[in-house]
This record gives sequence, C-alpha cells and structure tokens, in this order.
Amino acid sequence: MEGSIEFSDLKLTDVLDVEVLQKFQDSFAKGMGLASVTVDKDGIPVTKPSCYTKFCMDYTHSTECGDKRCAESHRRGGEEAARLGKPVVYECHAGLIDFAAPIIIEGHLMGTILGGQVLLNKPIEERYQNIAKEIGVDSVGYVEAVKHVNILDKERVEEAANVLYLVTNNMSNAAYQKMKLNTVAVSLSDSLHQISATMQELAASATTVSGNQDSLNTEIKNVDSMTEQINEVMELIKEIADETRLLGLNAAIEAARAGEAGAGFGVVAQEIRNLSTDSKETVSKIKEFTTKIRKSVDTTVSMGNETLSTVQQQAAAIEEVTSSVEEITAVAEELQALASAK
Amino acid sequence: MSDMQLVVFELDGNEYAIDALSVNGILRAKKFEIKTIPGLPDYITGAIQLRGNVNYIFNLKKKLNIKNQDIVLESKFIMINIEDQVVGWIVDEVTDIIKFSTENIEMPPGFVKNERISYLKGIGKIDDRIIVLLNPENILNVEGLMDIDEVAAVLEDTKEALN
Repeated sequence: MEGSIEFSDLKLTDVLDVEVLQKFQDSFAKGMGLASVTVDKDGIPVTKPSCYTKFCMDYTHSTECGDKRCAESHRRGGEEAARLGKPVVYECHAGLIDFAAPIIIEGHLMGTILGGQVLLNKPIEERYQNIAKEIGVDSVGYVEAVKHVNILDKERVEEAANVLYLVTNNMSNAAYQKMKLNTVAVSLSDSLHQISATMQELAASATTVSGNQDSLNTEIKNVDSMTEQINEVMELIKEIADETRLLGLNAAIEAARAGEAGAGFGVVAQEIRNLSTDSKETVSKIKEFTTKIRKSVDTTVSMGNETLSTVQQQAAAIEEVTSSVEEITAVAEELQALASAK
Repeated sequence: MSDMQLVVFELDGNEYAIDALSVNGILRAKKFEIKTIPGLPDYITGAIQLRGNVNYIFNLKKKLNIKNQDIVLESKFIMINIEDQVVGWIVDEVTDIIKFSTENIEMPPGFVKNERISYLKGIGKIDDRIIVLLNPENILNVEGLMDIDEVAAVLEDTKEALN
C-alpha cells in the first residue's frame, strides 16, 4: 500500500526527538543517581552519555581491552533485552550493575536504552584490583573510583529501567503512529487531487458536449427551416402546375371550337395537361420526402434536447461531487497539518 | 351519330358534362372576387369582372338542388356562352375534356316530356363512368327544375323497365 513505512529505512531518530530525549535522560539519570545512554539498533549512541561514572569513563573505557569488554557487555545486555522484549538488569564485566531497555515498534527493535553503572552492595576491593589488572588500569585509582559508585537497591534499578522503557517506547510508538497517519493523509490528499483533476476534465467535456449539442440543434433547425422553404417552393410549383393544367384545359376547349383545324392543337393541349399532372405527382412525392425529413428533424431535436438535459444533469452532478471533494480535501489537508506538526 | 367534345366536371363527387362548343373558357375561382348583387335569385352568387366585362356567376349546386353546396378550394368557373352572354358556373373541379360519340348517349326517358327535366340532355357512358350531360340553356332558363336525385330515380326505373 502506498504510504506504508519500511522498517529497514526507519531510524530511531525518526521516531524520537533526540533533544527532548537527551533532556529527559539527563534529568532522569541525575535524579536517580545512575548513568544512561541511548543507542540505535546498530549500537551507535544517539544521545550523549548522562552521568557516566569516573570509574567507567576514566578507567574501564581508558584501555582498548576495557572498552572492548564494555562493548561486548552492552551488546549481550541489549540482545537479551531485545529477545525478552522488556528491560533486563545484569552485572557488567567490570562488576557494576547495568540495565538494557529495548525500544520496540510493532515488533521491530529500534534501539536500546542502556544505563546503570551502580552497585547493589559495598564493593569488595580485591575483585576490582583483579579486574584492573585484567584490563590494564591503575588498580589503586580503580579501587578508589569504585568506592564513589552509587549503591542502589536492585528494585530501584529495575524500576528505573522500567520507567525509561515505558517512556521511550511510548514516545517512539506515538511518533510512529503519527508518521503513519501523516503518510495516510498525504496519500489521501494525493488521491483527492487526482479526483479533482478528473472532475475538472469531466466538467470540461460536459461543457463541450453541451456546446456541440447546441450547435447540432441549431444546424438541425436550419434543416427544418430549409425544408419549410422547400415546401414553400413546392407550393409555388403546385400553383404553376395548376395554372398549366388550366391552360391545357382552355387550350383543349379552343381546339374543340376550332373543329378539324384544332385537332393538332388538341394533342398539344393534352400534352400540357399530362405535363401538369406529372408535375403535381412530383410535387406530392417531394412533399412526402420533406414531411419525412421534418419528422426525422423533430425526432432528432427531441433526442438532442434529451441529451442536452442529461448532460446538464451530469454537469450538475459533477459540480456537486467537485464541491464534496473540495470539502474532503480541506479536511485531509487539516489532517495532514495535524499529523506533520511536531 | 357524330363526334363531339365534352367538358367534364365534378359536383359533389358526381360527374357532369356539357358540350365543349358552348364553353368559353375555364377560370380558377380563387383568382376572382365575386361581388354579390342584392335582389337576384339565390342561385346567382354574384358577378365577376373579366377583361372589362361583367359576368354573372351561377351556383350550379343550388340550381340543381344538390344537397352539399360547399364551395371547395379548387373550385372553377366554367364560362359558358348563352344567348350572346358569357356566364360562369361554379363547379368543384373540371376533370377532363374528352371526345365522345353521340351514340353513347342514353336519352332521357321519352315519356317524361316535362319541361322540368329539359335541362337533361342524356346520360353518357364512357367505360365504367356515368356522366350526366346537361343542356346549359335550359338549366338557367327553367325555374323549378326537377330535383337531380329525382331524375336519377326516374332513370333507374326506366332502365329496369327497358331491360
């Protein structure tokens, strides 16, 4: 579906406002007396470390060996948390208590909040002397540093991890839902614009059809008036035929009165009458045709008018749809504005 | 037995004829305006002006007591020479001018030697057509002509009697 979000492309910083997270993380760490940092799904920090201990910053991380062991420790903690889908509390390679809380959106691991760097009990010096030797740091300073590490109840550490887990997951999930809403709103807007464009095309073609039908009606009316004129001409021809016939009859009478001498003229008179009869028959045939033409014209005109009224109805419907689409577009734009607001 | 030419015309769907020699000409009624003249018998519709002369126009249907006396659109005036005068008859249509042999005339019944029937010259037979031959002068001169329907009935009776 258009507007869906690919998780492989989605970064932790897309769903978490780093600035807000940093402030929250700093305050939280300071208030709880523990350290914290947020890393993305590849283990790369997205925030600056909050309240890191001297023990960790100045000693454990100071050697390559120590740094590697820290990284390995974090990785394991993160993996465990991701596997369980909830925060875990564990002891790190350097004997401090750490936690890892996964940030999960719809089953996909987006990152992890790591933290802790505390102790549950007073430290046993020998243990830290040994670790100092293992990672190659000054054991006196190391033991001194571990004495400054905060001692907290396990329950407190667990609850702290829980709070971070709940807050970051809620923040990122809410942001993710908003992103999803935004993509839906964008795709809705796009579709509506397409509908609008199509409606405009439809309206334009309705106008064209209506215009064509108007011209067609005008042309047809021309045909009608021409047919009327033909009929007028036919009346004239009929009148001429009537006159011709009369001429023929009178000629025949003259011929009859002329007796034998008029016989030839009588034939001509008969021919004239025949001619008149033929003319009249032709006139009535043409009149039959013009009557048919006028009937066709009438039918065409009424069909044309029907088409015209249908097209007008369509145009009105298109206008209605267009105004509805405009309303929905406004709503979709509002939705998009809401979804894309920070 | 001799040949003559007839001007055949129609009155209310029936055919009548007169000798072409007594006909002066045929006019289209709608081309003329008939001026009515008060005081004349009702079968004289009025008069028209034709080439400087005044001609009386007769309503033949009235004279012959034909029931349907409507003047139709294509009515004609048959202008007839009678006693040095030319008068017009209104007819529904002039249908034909035909050559005719006098032997085809069935004379009016001899025993009806009545002036009231003297306008009738006889009945002409041309194929299936029955044409009533009229005597123009007697039609206009005789008052109280025998009703044409009455004549037809008499003729019918005569025919049966002869057969």
